[in-house]
Amino acid sequence: MKRRHFLAAAVLAALPGIALAHGPSRQKVTLTADVAADPAAVWEAIGNFQDMSWHPAVFSTEGTGGNDIDATRHLVLGQEGGPTIDEVLYKYDAAKMTYSYRITDVLVEVLPVTNYSSHLTVKPRAEGGSTVEWRGAFYRGYPNNDPPPELNDEAAVAAVTGVYQAGLDALVERFGAP
Amino acid sequence: MRWLNASARHSVLALILAALPAQAERAYITCQNGNALSLFDLDTGQETARWSLPGQPAGIAVGTDAVFTVAPEGKVVRRHTPITGEITAEAHLDGGPTGIALDERRGRVFVSDWYNALVWVLDAADLSVLRILETGAAPAGLAVSDDGRLIASADRDVNQVSLFDAETLALIARISVGIRPYGLRFAPDGRLFVGNVGTNDLSVIDPETAHVIATVPVGERPYGVTFAKGRAFVTNQYANTLSVIDLATLTPVATIETNEYPEGIDTTADGRVIFTNWFDNTVQVLDPDTLEITDSYDTADGPRAFGRFIADH
Repeated sequence: MKRRHFLAAAVLAALPGIALAHGPSRQKVTLTADVAADPAAVWEAIGNFQDMSWHPAVFSTEGTGGNDIDATRHLVLGQEGGPTIDEVLYKYDAAKMTYSYRITDVLVEVLPVTNYSSHLTVKPRAEGGSTVEWRGAFYRGYPNNDPPPELNDEAAVAAVTGVYQAGLDALVERFGAP
Repeated sequence: MRWLNASARHSVLALILAALPAQAERAYITCQNGNALSLFDLDTGQETARWSLPGQPAGIAVGTDAVFTVAPEGKVVRRHTPITGEITAEAHLDGGPTGIALDERRGRVFVSDWYNALVWVLDAADLSVLRILETGAAPAGLAVSDDGRLIASADRDVNQVSLFDAETLALIARISVGIRPYGLRFAPDGRLFVGNVGTNDLSVIDPETAHVIATVPVGERPYGVTFAKGRAFVTNQYANTLSVIDLATLTPVATIETNEYPEGIDTTADGRVIFTNWFDNTVQVLDPDTLEITDSYDTADGPRAFGRFIADH
């Protein structure tokens, strides 16, 4: 599912450099998934910023700084030599089982967003097990007025939703539904 | 009054209060993702109206007898009746209308054009375009000084503030600030405070000399600034905090945890600090003396309220 998403994104046309600008309206996505494992077990799997192997789209993770603020990671997607995403950690709280990071470098052909920030959180469920919440805030890939359809707000939301859904589906598969 | 029982005393009090003019403080909250304009009564905490407003509204300027909104995706500026929300004028501005400020003395509205490095000067009555002012690239926040003499724009992509004479509309100065200035506001003492999202600080400008006189660190991604009780309050989008700065010493005095993605911020006439949280759809109320958050209200999706959003009359 995840791979299909990146393949779809990969066919987008190349555009002029647009690193600092952004479109007029920031978008947001929040997805959650309930799993049977307790929060500590889930956090053990996803709480290390330097290891995103729990996500099926991620081929490799390498970075520096561990889980300290300003730690960085370089994700390779799909396969060796695949598309990449560079990210930086800006909040990390192991006690609250949450971390926040930003994308510092990604092509809009890979993920059609700009100014992307995200939070990943594990919470206990009252009925037992855990809830994983993944939230993102971002602008569309095309920073100016009248975007082409593959770089508009809807495309940005669809792409991020696809990434989150694939990751959360993998966690449900791994830890079981509650 | 000794002969009055408690309930009678309350009735008398109610009669006295009813005879006074309404003093309710109102907040107009643009909800960008929800395409809505919400009206909050800040005395009761009630959302008394929620008007549908297409075009992803964010910018806001509240005057005595009109409220102005900017919907950048719809490329439209609207004038509303304060109580009913009815749209009484509308201007379609081809470009990227973003920030807005009201010069009530002269009946002018200023709207920045993010894409074309200019500010539209509009007639506040009918929103016709009176003039065009040139700014640097990507003008965002706009502010009118309390004494009505100056207009300022934060020109984000060239790291400067443009300062204009509000009467003649002539350019006074271009002032270099921190990296990527976005929101700005004049303090009650006349100094101009500019939030820089690239350097996570405030540039404090003396408009008389047109120079930066201090740079004050704040949190990650400062968005808006307001003033109350001798302090500046800054929303930090990424940090989920407010920075509190002493206006006499220009030093940070506190950092307050907020809900997620704090953005638009303004002050009521009685000194309460009100701000929106874009991600989790709330408005929060801060007591500027105790620095405690006293209330939190739910809004439509994506409250931003970029500008002056409180009416106190």
